[in-house]
Amino acid sequence: MTTGNEHPQARRSVVNWLLGLWGGGVLASIFYPVVRYLAPPDVPEAAALSVTAGSAQALAPNSGRVVPFGARPAIVIRTPAGELRAFSATCTHLDCTVQYRPDLQRIWCACHNGEYDLNGRNVAGPPPRPLDPYDVNVAGDEITITRRS
Amino acid sequence: MKRLVLAAFVLLAVDTRAQTPPETAFEDDVHAAAGLTCASCHKTEAAGAYAAPARTSIAPLCASCHSDAAYMRTVDPQVRVDQYLQYQTSTHGKRMAAGDARVATCSDCHGAHGVRRVRDARSPVAPANVVTTCGRCHGDPARMAAFGRQATHPAEWAASVHAAALIKRGDTSAPTCVSCHGSHGATPPGVTSVANVCAQCHLREAELFRASPKREIFDAIGQAECLVCHGNHRIESPADQWVGLEKGAVCEQCHDAAGDSGAAIRDIRQKLDTLQDATSTADARLTRAEHAGMLVEDGRLALQLAREHQVQSRALVHAFAPAPFAKTAADGVAAARRAREAGEAAMRELQLRRQGLGVATLLVLAFLATLWVKIRRLPPA
Amino acid sequence: MRLRAWLAERLPLDDVLATLRHKRVPHHEYSVWYYFGGTTLFLFAIQVGTGALLLLYYRPSAAEAYESVQFIVARVPFGWLVRSIHAWSANLMVASAFAHLFSVAFLHAYRRPRELTWMSGVLLLVLTLAFGFTGYLLPWNEVSFFATRVGTDIAATVPLVGHALVRFLRGGDDVTGATLTRLFGFHVAVLPAVATALVALHLLLVQRHGMSVPPSVERRAAADPGAVRSIPFLPHFLLRDLFAWTAVLAVLASLATFYPSELGAKADPFAPAPAGIRPEWYFLWAFETLKHVPPTVAGLNGEFVAVAAMGSGAVGALLLPLVAGRSPRSRAIVVWICAAALLFMGGMTMLALRTVTP
Repeated sequence: MTTGNEHPQARRSVVNWLLGLWGGGVLASIFYPVVRYLAPPDVPEAAALSVTAGSAQALAPNSGRVVPFGARPAIVIRTPAGELRAFSATCTHLDCTVQYRPDLQRIWCACHNGEYDLNGRNVAGPPPRPLDPYDVNVAGDEITITRRS
Repeated sequence: MKRLVLAAFVLLAVDTRAQTPPETAFEDDVHAAAGLTCASCHKTEAAGAYAAPARTSIAPLCASCHSDAAYMRTVDPQVRVDQYLQYQTSTHGKRMAAGDARVATCSDCHGAHGVRRVRDARSPVAPANVVTTCGRCHGDPARMAAFGRQATHPAEWAASVHAAALIKRGDTSAPTCVSCHGSHGATPPGVTSVANVCAQCHLREAELFRASPKREIFDAIGQAECLVCHGNHRIESPADQWVGLEKGAVCEQCHDAAGDSGAAIRDIRQKLDTLQDATSTADARLTRAEHAGMLVEDGRLALQLAREHQVQSRALVHAFAPAPFAKTAADGVAAARRAREAGEAAMRELQLRRQGLGVATLLVLAFLATLWVKIRRLPPA
Repeated sequence: MRLRAWLAERLPLDDVLATLRHKRVPHHEYSVWYYFGGTTLFLFAIQVGTGALLLLYYRPSAAEAYESVQFIVARVPFGWLVRSIHAWSANLMVASAFAHLFSVAFLHAYRRPRELTWMSGVLLLVLTLAFGFTGYLLPWNEVSFFATRVGTDIAATVPLVGHALVRFLRGGDDVTGATLTRLFGFHVAVLPAVATALVALHLLLVQRHGMSVPPSVERRAAADPGAVRSIPFLPHFLLRDLFAWTAVLAVLASLATFYPSELGAKADPFAPAPAGIRPEWYFLWAFETLKHVPPTVAGLNGEFVAVAAMGSGAVGALLLPLVAGRSPRSRAIVVWICAAALLFMGGMTMLALRTVTP
């Protein structure tokens, strides 16, 4: 203890210096996550509700297009009358992805020959339920499909 | 269990029909709704003393209206009128015409005094009931022995993937007896036409099969297309292990390890197994990451894609060629790998979080220790 | 130095510093309980900070709330940490506030002249619980949706205005997106405004009256003035406070990393309630009590009786310093009542946890 009594001032300044060092580290480990959090993320916003589905012009009457919608596919069709409609593209029978058949004018599942009409109703084959419908909006030339919540 | 319930339900329906007096049962009959009376069928008897018509005369009796297009149109413009025509081509109809009254006629399936439309779920020929109705004779060994036939088919069907779809999932589009054999024209489908029957639903597989080299060979040697591998009544959910050369596999019935075909079979099986391994490994990794509190949506999307490729590649087995199958299977494996990597990245991220926490905790502990020293050394108050 | 002079000329800086330098805190065997107030305040500050961070990405609508929380957790760097800290800090804040309340009650710190300090404290605890209740729904997941439905339903037992109260809380007849927007408004605007004002009042009163000394220590001091020590607020007490806060921060970070707040499935208003719906742990005792009351008590609706009893308990707690007598005997009664309340709440919580866990 003799040294401590001889240099109490020096001991205290060492403690203060260490306290500042560790305290700075603690503050850094608080502010580093905060700064990272404040920086805008790569994907600017949650997009689970609606997705863009390409050009409306490019989708001719009596044709369809399958687009990813979150973790599942969706299908946008243009009816022979020119109307745009969108549905979940997951067949209600066994989870295969459906496609548009211009010759049948129906949405068709290749796995078990299931057919849905242009309103998504199951009309032939094994599918037990209609396809879930989505809302379609066109801004400029871009189709946006939205899940109904 | 479900089968028992179904059987009980139909027995009950049969019982009530047996116990209900004909005039009461007839009140609910579609024929009563169409304005028919007892005397419409019981023509020869005096009122109040009706006897059953002879079994051989029932079908012609029904046909006197149901084959009369002009008359039927007045009751229901859409109704079909070809049932009797079809019945005459069926095994039932031919035997009945030959005077064998033991075989089925209209009333055996539709009932006599409480006839309901087929789309009425209470009808004995509604999809959920029709197997039990056929099974009353075709599942009865005593009756079938007289014809030298087996009575095991309804029970075999009950163990099939189709029965599971109908009874467990309530999918009324699942095939029953009549979907393959026909109803009024019931007869076993021919060996060469069975693919047409299956293709009603399994179109993709049928298209692939018809374009494959198997078709010609099977036709030439008189093999029964789909049935060779899948069986007929007891059609089970197919497994990847069916493709193979070891005991229990279906290819092994005809092929051995020698030659190109043996190598192709081994190759297809190996790719199927790789895909299955890849998807289940990816699923396990993603589940572990999810249990650790991580969100791995991208991984789940990739896994969904891998599963779809798996469904498609299993269908592509029916091309019996390595070409289109190999690409789809490889795409599936690639998607499964992406899913697995997403799960592993999540676990690495978790590890990184814990390391970061470790560093921060060390800093905090050092700060606390120094602060403690500082507090101890403060000048006395 | 010049800046300091500039500031001192314009602000009462020197007065404040002088007051803090002269401020002393009693130091005795019970003074460890003094730190719970500071800890609660620290956790409140964390809630304000992390809450503001969450607001940058959160979207308060039924269509987007769940997705935006998912986005925070999965896509925003350290979003998982901010959200988990906010959730864990809320839990610790409730625990710390309860510990503060009961320690103050047991040490009789509510006595004259600290009645208003106590009452503002009780109101702050109620506000803390309200923060918890309103914040619980905001992720719009299955568990929180049904817990909020059950929780708001309890208000219906209040006579006459019960139905109107439920409609007020839900923003309609049922829990919908309107409820979410409403509770969000309470959670981030109304409650923080009231809480900040009350915290300011509470701190001002603590500063004005200083720390209370328990009656037993007071008696010792009366006999021998040198027996009760005190330490300077600056730096002795503040450094100890800092120690407690840093330790709490370390615990929070570990909890958030090893037990991140789960998100579960998105709420579906038309789905049947899943099994095992229960509120946050600090409401469990009330939830359990309501389960055990018979349908009718003395000719009245049992649920109403239970809610009325809990309500009068809260009012009793609020008015405690006004109704408690000054004699040692009435202080003993307060201790027994508080102990019974603590035992009841603890017992009911245990019972609820036991029935839920298996």
